Amino acid sequence: MKSVMLYALSTCPFCKMAKRFFESRNIPYNFVDVDLLPEEEKEKTVAEVQRISGRRAFPVIVIGEEVIVGYDELRIREALEK
Amino acid sequence: MTSERILCPVCQVAFPLKEEKVPGKRVVCPVCGAVLVLEKGDASWVLRRPQDITPEEEIRARVENFARLRGYRFNEMKEPLIEALLKKYERYGDFYCPCKIDNIPENICPCLETRQGSVERNGRCHCGLFWK
Ligand code: SF4
Ligand SMILES: [Zn+2]
Repeated sequence: MKSVMLYALSTCPFCKMAKRFFESRNIPYNFVDVDLLPEEEKEKTVAEVQRISGRRAFPVIVIGEEVIVGYDELRIREALEK
Repeated sequence: MTSERILCPVCQVAFPLKEEKVPGKRVVCPVCGAVLVLEKGDASWVLRRPQDITPEEEIRARVENFARLRGYRFNEMKEPLIEALLKKYERYGDFYCPCKIDNIPENICPCLETRQGSVERNGRCHCGLFWK
């Protein structure tokens, strides 16, 4: 099973859809609501998101080696199956 | 007949206001759809955000106007996004994009990338509020 990491914001509807996608399929995943982190950790995490995605927008989903920027169900499925 | 430019306090773009100027008159920003009120400032006319409507009324009117101006559509994501924009307003004092971390002027909804055509390029805005 590939590792799945979801970088999210607590206010972002596509982030919630991503959570629901993994939950409804019983796919183990980790997530972080970046806006709810303490300041220092938030900055570090946003810097990481920016490094891997080139943006400061959410969601960003990392499946194995693949980085998916935004909620793209097709790409999520493909990355999980690869 | 003057068509001097007047600054939108939401998107910070100055647009020509050709209509007759009356204090208290409602004006819709042609760039971002914000509902604004015309007031006589010290030296010239100014536009301010209305004080007599709720934040929810303000953001609903703004996104409706913007969609109409651009010919965009909404779908079932609209209500969750209105809620999310209101949460941002409560937490950070303005309607900052619910899907971006930075609560800065260019991310006030409709955000700069959307005003610059991201819906045309991607079929929707980043959050999924406006659709082509
Ligand atoms: S991405 Fe869409 S919802 Fe988010 S601020 Fe821009 S226009 Fe508004
Ligand atoms: Zn404006």
